[in-house]
Amino acid sequence: MSVLIRIGMSTSDIAAGAEATYQALESAVRHRQLPVTLKRTGSLGVSHREPVVEVVENGQSTLYGPVTPERVRPLLDQHFGAGHRGVSEDWVISRRNDRSDYPFLGLQTKVTTKLCGVIDPYSLDDYLAHDGYEAFKKALKMSPEAVVQAIKDSKLRGRGGAGFPTGIKWELLRKSPGSPKYLICNADEGDPGAFMDRATIEGDPHKLLEGMLIAAYATGASRGYIYVRAEYPLAINVLRNAIRQAREYGVLGQNILGTGMDFDIVIKEGAGAFVCGEETALMHSIEGKRGMPRMRPPYPAQSGLWGKPSNINNVETLASISSIILNGPDWYAGLGTEKSGGTKAFALAGAIQRSGLVEVPIGTPLRRLIYDIGGGCANGRELKAVQLGGPSGGCIPAHLIDTIIDYDELRATGAIMGSGGMIVLDDTVSMVNIAHYFLSFTQDESCGKCVPCRVGTRKMLNILARILHGQGVMEDIDRLERLCHTVGKGSLCGLGQTAPNPVLTTLRYFRHEYEQAIANRQNGHEAALAA
Amino acid sequence: MIKITIDNREIEVKPGTNVLQAALDNGIDIPHLCYHPELVPSGGCRMCLVEVEGRPNPVPSCGLQAAEGMVIHTRTEQVEAMRRDIIDLFVSDHPLNCVVCDKNGACALQKYAYEYNVAETSFDFELSRTLYQDDNPFFIRDHQYCILCGKCVRVCDEVVGAHAIDFSQRGFVTYIATPFDVPLAESSCVFCGSCVQVCPTAALLPRNKIGKGREWELERTRTVCGYCGVGCSLEYALKDGEIIYAQGFADAPVNGEFLCVKGRFGWDFAKQPDRLTQPLVRKDLAYELGLTDEPWELPETSVLKSKPKAENYIPVSWEQAIDITATKLADIIRQHGGNAVAGLASARCTNEENYIFQKFMRVGVGTNSIDHCARL
Repeated sequence: MSVLIRIGMSTSDIAAGAEATYQALESAVRHRQLPVTLKRTGSLGVSHREPVVEVVENGQSTLYGPVTPERVRPLLDQHFGAGHRGVSEDWVISRRNDRSDYPFLGLQTKVTTKLCGVIDPYSLDDYLAHDGYEAFKKALKMSPEAVVQAIKDSKLRGRGGAGFPTGIKWELLRKSPGSPKYLICNADEGDPGAFMDRATIEGDPHKLLEGMLIAAYATGASRGYIYVRAEYPLAINVLRNAIRQAREYGVLGQNILGTGMDFDIVIKEGAGAFVCGEETALMHSIEGKRGMPRMRPPYPAQSGLWGKPSNINNVETLASISSIILNGPDWYAGLGTEKSGGTKAFALAGAIQRSGLVEVPIGTPLRRLIYDIGGGCANGRELKAVQLGGPSGGCIPAHLIDTIIDYDELRATGAIMGSGGMIVLDDTVSMVNIAHYFLSFTQDESCGKCVPCRVGTRKMLNILARILHGQGVMEDIDRLERLCHTVGKGSLCGLGQTAPNPVLTTLRYFRHEYEQAIANRQNGHEAALAA
Repeated sequence: MIKITIDNREIEVKPGTNVLQAALDNGIDIPHLCYHPELVPSGGCRMCLVEVEGRPNPVPSCGLQAAEGMVIHTRTEQVEAMRRDIIDLFVSDHPLNCVVCDKNGACALQKYAYEYNVAETSFDFELSRTLYQDDNPFFIRDHQYCILCGKCVRVCDEVVGAHAIDFSQRGFVTYIATPFDVPLAESSCVFCGSCVQVCPTAALLPRNKIGKGREWELERTRTVCGYCGVGCSLEYALKDGEIIYAQGFADAPVNGEFLCVKGRFGWDFAKQPDRLTQPLVRKDLAYELGLTDEPWELPETSVLKSKPKAENYIPVSWEQAIDITATKLADIIRQHGGNAVAGLASARCTNEENYIFQKFMRVGVGTNSIDHCARL
């Protein structure tokens, strides 16, 4: 009777020490000649308990974490009848197959990350055993128009953050004259604290490739690019392997599965510029030029990569496609809200008790995500705000915790859905400091092309630094607001246009903190004068 | 033609025209710093933002294609306030020492700062870069004045095709550089100076211009470049009869604003004492023809082998020179036949002139011995 042991080996697992755990497991299994199938998987998303090890015995799964190398031996002893010494119940994450005993996992609805932590990302057979490439084969039996319609009906919106309806984007490319057409996957995940795309690629690379294949079929694209940041070496390695396998399997290359369809994928590694996540800058970067955004129109569907019709989708968007085709657009649309279907993955980080990767349906209240899934603030602190959407996003204050996760609802608060970075802030945090942190990031990453972004964000940052260092004056707040307007309305690309959001939202909800920081200084100054 | 309305004025424009150009062509001034009609619009300076009815946010007019029925407002309260803020941001990173600046009077930033009454920045003044580069004999690069409009980069890429410079670094400290900051001479720069031509500020200046006078003190003379047969028009800026610098001008029929290194920087021959400015006849021939009473003989070392000395010649008029040449040529042909003559044409002449010359040699003189310096 063989036992299956899975061990998460994603970047975050490895950072937590999973390599040593794996080696301990592997050598113990070998030396003791245990009837164990050891499987390296991607991440389950349980970052706060990594390294994670799952033992499946007689169809019964037990999830452990963190499993340090020292814990490997007692664990194996327990499962292979050599005693129960030393295994603490604290090591157990979940004993139920549906994970209902661990809300962090049990309350999630996994679509794009469903097989992350389950299958071996280096094994095509494993993917095939989980309906792999069935969606693509199903799509091939549909007309391309029908595939586009299905994606439209699914109400899938771009998961890169802007939320443009994916089906409409595909239709634009499909109808755009010119050839060849390019399909680009944006895997330049740059928001600080965001790692949804990395986890998806590292855990289930073929799901992304399958999504791209379906997109290529639907839009008529013959060449695909995956623009992935060079800081993701493991993801790149996994992808390279998957692309090679897909070619061997016959779903990439010429005359795919005998249908006459040609499509192949090239990986382009980024060189560390945040702005290259912006689609026009990304295309420049692929072309070998400096990654700088340009004005739109023309939009990529009219004139994109190498001046040809192109379509750019985010990893998560493309990773959603196969499930939509396989389960039907109604199923996917039914997961979300009236205007927006499906699920969204978030990288839950910051002052949260249970951090990690979570996937929930669009329309889930923020409260459920933070408290029920995330367990609220760590160390029993009070929640102050949730920072959503990274440097382009904003802070949602604790009193708006019942806001639902939806593009339009979040925008109304001043934050944005963004790509999925979610940073929980507790009551020890200075909001001026938070605004300063995010703006310093944007300011560094501005490409330098347009003045509002290049100089405007610098001036905003200087003002924030002044306030933080107790040298601010009340007029600084007016200046900040004026700059927010000029930078937000006047910048060329999304980076500059959204750069003021962290400042705008903290000013909107925590203005008193700014005023207090300034008043403290003035009081101090007057006291000094009086003395 | 399509109809659009700019500031309540209905104008007709060709399809494909951008709104900024359409406005400029119709005498409506929309402020702009990074736009150049010969270059692909970049939209970087954000000065040409306008409001378009039906659109929520201001749009850069340089990148906005005119569409039938479009209604545009270039001076709304919102865009004027934004423009003022943008100038404010520009001058927070640009020395306002206009009184000693060589671009004074021709600086686009100065012009807009004046128009929008921005005497100094309302933000903190902070220079992002102070790099000064004078690594070549033709022009200097003074980065503190650079506003990163990118026109130099685009002209080098799109017009010249040299790709010698591009943006380097990111964010506030972005600057224009050669690859790996090598000196210009080691880059692919051809020193045509087109970047200097399009630079709106004092960031790029002809070396010779520095300290030689303010723009309004200079006289302008337009002429045709004598270096080659292309016939580029150029304009010399002069002070007290001395050339200060050369530049192109937009309505030049052959070359527009753009020149090559020779036309733009190679004009120091103009005041050289040994410059040939009129036809000369060697003294022995002049005596023979009765143009002088002074007899003169060829020195033992032939003048053909040494540098011609001015005192061995006497000046004559063009009519005389042509007359002498024609007479002599006719004599030679009569005595020795056409094949005794050979012709060497010049790349400084136009195609038409070269064509006429070879026709003259073959038909008039009767020789096929005709060649051209460009073949050497």
